[in-house]
Amino acid sequence: MAGNFWASSHYQQWIIDRQDLYRERQHDLKQLTEEEYQKVMILFANVIQALGEHLKFRQQVIATATVYFKRFYARNSLKSIDPWLMAPTCAFLASKVEEYGVISNNRLITTCQNIVKNKFGHAFNGEYPYRIQHVMECEFYLLEMMDCCLIMYHPYRPLTKFCADIGSEMELLPVAWRMVNDCLRTDVPLLYPPYLIALACLHLASIVKQKDIKTWCAELSVDNDKVMEITRTMVSLYETWKSYDEKKEIQAILAKMPKPSPSRPPSETTSMQDANSQQQQQQQQQQQQQQQQQLPSGGV
Amino acid sequence: MQKYEKLEKIGEGTYGTVFKAKNRETLEIVALKRVRLDDDDEGVPSSALREICLLKELKHKNVVRLHDVVHSERKLTLVFEYCDQDLKKYFDACNGEIDPDVVKSFMCQLLRGIAFCHSNNVLHRDLKPQNLLINKNGELKLADFGLARAFGFPVRFYSAEVVTLWYRPPDVLFGAKMYSTSIDMWSAGCIFAELANAGRPLFPGNDDDDQLKRIFKYPLTLTSVSRLLGTPTEDSWPGLSQLPNYRPFPMYHVNTTWQQVVPKLNSKGRDLLQKLLVCYPPDRLSAEDSLQHAYFVDASSGPK
Repeated sequence: MAGNFWASSHYQQWIIDRQDLYRERQHDLKQLTEEEYQKVMILFANVIQALGEHLKFRQQVIATATVYFKRFYARNSLKSIDPWLMAPTCAFLASKVEEYGVISNNRLITTCQNIVKNKFGHAFNGEYPYRIQHVMECEFYLLEMMDCCLIMYHPYRPLTKFCADIGSEMELLPVAWRMVNDCLRTDVPLLYPPYLIALACLHLASIVKQKDIKTWCAELSVDNDKVMEITRTMVSLYETWKSYDEKKEIQAILAKMPKPSPSRPPSETTSMQDANSQQQQQQQQQQQQQQQQQLPSGGV
Repeated sequence: MQKYEKLEKIGEGTYGTVFKAKNRETLEIVALKRVRLDDDDEGVPSSALREICLLKELKHKNVVRLHDVVHSERKLTLVFEYCDQDLKKYFDACNGEIDPDVVKSFMCQLLRGIAFCHSNNVLHRDLKPQNLLINKNGELKLADFGLARAFGFPVRFYSAEVVTLWYRPPDVLFGAKMYSTSIDMWSAGCIFAELANAGRPLFPGNDDDDQLKRIFKYPLTLTSVSRLLGTPTEDSWPGLSQLPNYRPFPMYHVNTTWQQVVPKLNSKGRDLLQKLLVCYPPDRLSAEDSLQHAYFVDASSGPK
């Protein structure tokens, strides 16, 4: 769907205001600092990236899965569903939506087990606990929470166009492309339209490569403040990375992370929510029925 | 789900049963499509996911509207706008007679729906009378996007097993794996002829071979440049023999004219039909261009 971004659910429902995003995150920020929260998000973006690479996804599918993950936790606390379950669920859903083809259940879970053991042993102790039934159940909540908005626009396509326009496919595109991948480790995909993200990455790439694209930029009529905001977020990500050793620090952060109540496995947690919402629905329905009964019969 | 009162079963869709129902609050009549989750391998079936995510983005009066997706327990229910019948049932009830103005109106709406999908980079891939819904105001809407997909870059190979046989273009029958909007335009041509003949299908083939034979016996325009009759050759269709399932067909003797094929359609309509039923995919008329065709240039072209 390259169709019309401005008419898309991505633009109309899923470009979130920064203040709203922070408000929703307040609960988790009682237990984690902002930087720690970001580090959790970086970890799981890496988990999804590793999963996607092992399952031979195109980068676009990986990006879609990562943004699904971000959308879920933009509206929910980290304790609502264990991110170790949400990460493969996002990959599972994205592969179907992007018509990559369904990954076999065994393969998904086996890949999770291998990755957790071989690549993320520093963050996860023991056996990977989830099975495909958990993923399928989690998929339901993911779908519902995203209001079934599954089609995603990514910066890759506008970026490719911009680079072709500048005539710098060889020099700037690979650098900027990697920066677009990096931006999946920030809040940027939730806050800005993809073409602005592409511009910000292009801007940064032009600095790295010391290529002057000012004349080209001057002809664009875009919100430059926003491009600069994105650029600053990216720079601060790179600052964080410079001094950050995930292997050493992540255990302590994860220990502080709000978690689903241990007495209830995720399936029960979710069915509890379901029961609650059913109760609410029933109440609503009773009210409606009462209201309907009050209507004069001729009106119905 | 208590929001809806089920009224009656309407049919079976690609991935579940369809019910007519009433919204208890608004009294609006809707169609409920229950998604079966019995196949425990896949989670939510990808055909259902495709329909949900595409219809979430496609809002047009000639595309069926997805009002809501309701989650309850382990079930997923899609809530659609309700249409009284589909074009197949309309054919069955028309007694072999469809007013030429109605033919034009339906065709125009079909093309508008397709043009909208294509402008949003969505291929329907399974257009057929059963998937075209008609409401009591004579509005036609594209439905059943279970096989549809979004297309874009990079160009990828799509599954060749799409589009019901009768409405399948020759390139797909020969196993072409790269196709584009032209796939829907062939189907639109077949449906156009079927409309003009009040429900008699144009190419009711029994299998792939029979389907191709029926097509090649028609006086088809193979490309917009060379007007050849009958079976295509490498000359009239560059790349034909490289298609995965290509096999040579005899040169059939063409013994009909378009006038005999669609006797009730006027000459402009016949011209449009010929431009849709072009074997060589790049030369098939697009939906956007079809709408500019002289056939639609008169007052009654809009939806009735």
